[in-house]
Amino acid sequence: MKLYFADTIFSPIFRRYFFYFDSYPLVIQIAIILTTIAITATIIAYGSILYRRYSGWKRDRRLAKLNPRIDDLITDTVILNEELALGTPPEKIELDLSGFARLKYRDMFVRQALIDRIMHYRKNFVGDLGYLLRQLYIDLDLEKDSVKKLKSPQWNKKVQGLVELTALDMQISDVNILPLTNSKNRELRAEARHAYIKLSKNEPFKFFDIATEPLLMWDQIELFKIITTNKDIVLPNFARWVTYSNNKSIVSFCLKLIIHYNQTEAIPAVIKLLDNRDHYLRADAIQCLGKLKVEEAEDKLVSIYNNQPLNCQIEILKALGRIGSGRHLEFLKSEFIRSQDFDIRKNAARSIIKHGALSQNMLGDLMSVSSEENQLILKHCMNPLIKY
Amino acid sequence: MTFTNAGTVLLIEDDEIMLKVIERILLKEGYQVLVARNGKEAMQRLEQGGFNLVITDLMMPYANGFEVISKVKSSDKSKGIPVIVISSVGNEDSIMEGFRLGADDFLKKPIMAGELMIRVKRLISTSKS
Repeated sequence: MKLYFADTIFSPIFRRYFFYFDSYPLVIQIAIILTTIAITATIIAYGSILYRRYSGWKRDRRLAKLNPRIDDLITDTVILNEELALGTPPEKIELDLSGFARLKYRDMFVRQALIDRIMHYRKNFVGDLGYLLRQLYIDLDLEKDSVKKLKSPQWNKKVQGLVELTALDMQISDVNILPLTNSKNRELRAEARHAYIKLSKNEPFKFFDIATEPLLMWDQIELFKIITTNKDIVLPNFARWVTYSNNKSIVSFCLKLIIHYNQTEAIPAVIKLLDNRDHYLRADAIQCLGKLKVEEAEDKLVSIYNNQPLNCQIEILKALGRIGSGRHLEFLKSEFIRSQDFDIRKNAARSIIKHGALSQNMLGDLMSVSSEENQLILKHCMNPLIKY
Repeated sequence: MTFTNAGTVLLIEDDEIMLKVIERILLKEGYQVLVARNGKEAMQRLEQGGFNLVITDLMMPYANGFEVISKVKSSDKSKGIPVIVISSVGNEDSIMEGFRLGADDFLKKPIMAGELMIRVKRLISTSKS
């Protein structure tokens, strides 16, 4: 006899809720639908969480068995390599991979575990051991896996591939990496740019040429750290991008690098930037000229002062203080006395004080003739404990 | 493989890989190795004594490397024992603090195994003489 669902013990419930569903008021109908959706969504969510946790637990259990075997193999093959101990140069050592064959390293899970483990070892060891670990990665053909990840449609896989290749100092062809430096995805873009600077030996800043996406402040900080801590990096003349780049964030970043590396050969390009229509870029250029103490730019800065917005005017005042030639002390004094804007007066005062001995007499005069508020500003700026 | 006992090293490291690798290298060079995987175990080992050199990490659970250095250098029993710090924390303040507390050497991760061995040999021979 065929047993229908409606004939089971659930039938009274279903009859009650579904057979008479049409007869319920609309509010009740909506409530039933929403409740059903909520319960179903909760069940799916819990099911998915349980599934993920179970997969994670299974993966951890497998890794717990696998990692000690990998560690032993790496230790025997690389760390305690007999030939290395006998003084053979690492580039002449052929690694014995027979142990890895027993590990079934063709399995994707095992290969990923191997990559992760080799990366971890390489984070802790450089020199000959670092070289051999990289060699092991190449000999096991793990490089192909990482390059394959760069072509994955998932952005997180691409980032993973970049991290692996960067950690193991592998070269990535421009065809693979350059498009990623301009990706719409912020994380991927940042990682690709970091990787490009780290791995490109000849032209680490080539991606500046094609960058249309902005270089966000956080990216700039990260890139700045990578560039300034990498001793082997080939430094170009950053004036190239200051002059030709249409990407404002790249120009702004290059100005920071010009300051850091004291690239005086870039000064003409920076002075040209004072005519740029973007006032944020002008402010960055003025700051750059001030920090590089470009005395020949002082007259131009003073001449454009009155046509600038507040942020640029403040930068001009700061720049005059940094350059400190003393030729424009009267200008600073007049701005301090004349201006109604507090920031202008404060920065003019600071710049006058920065002139040191050159402005001693002027400071005495200002203290005697200034208003009470201006005297307070001067005293505040003269306090050596208050930095700016 | 060398079987002579060149000295006993107390190795304090919470990273299992680093611990295992350095231990294997030291054993291969003929040193006996005592290991501690965190600050608490390190303090117990320091009480027991019986080592000629301490290699310690800085960032560890329970007690950090600075506390380990202080403990070694403040005890009459162990104050002559050299301490090598291996750490990924390489800022000036940490290095200075380590040396101020009495550390004899500092290596920033990533390290070169050969360089570590030379430093270990030199410090052990200096302390023995």
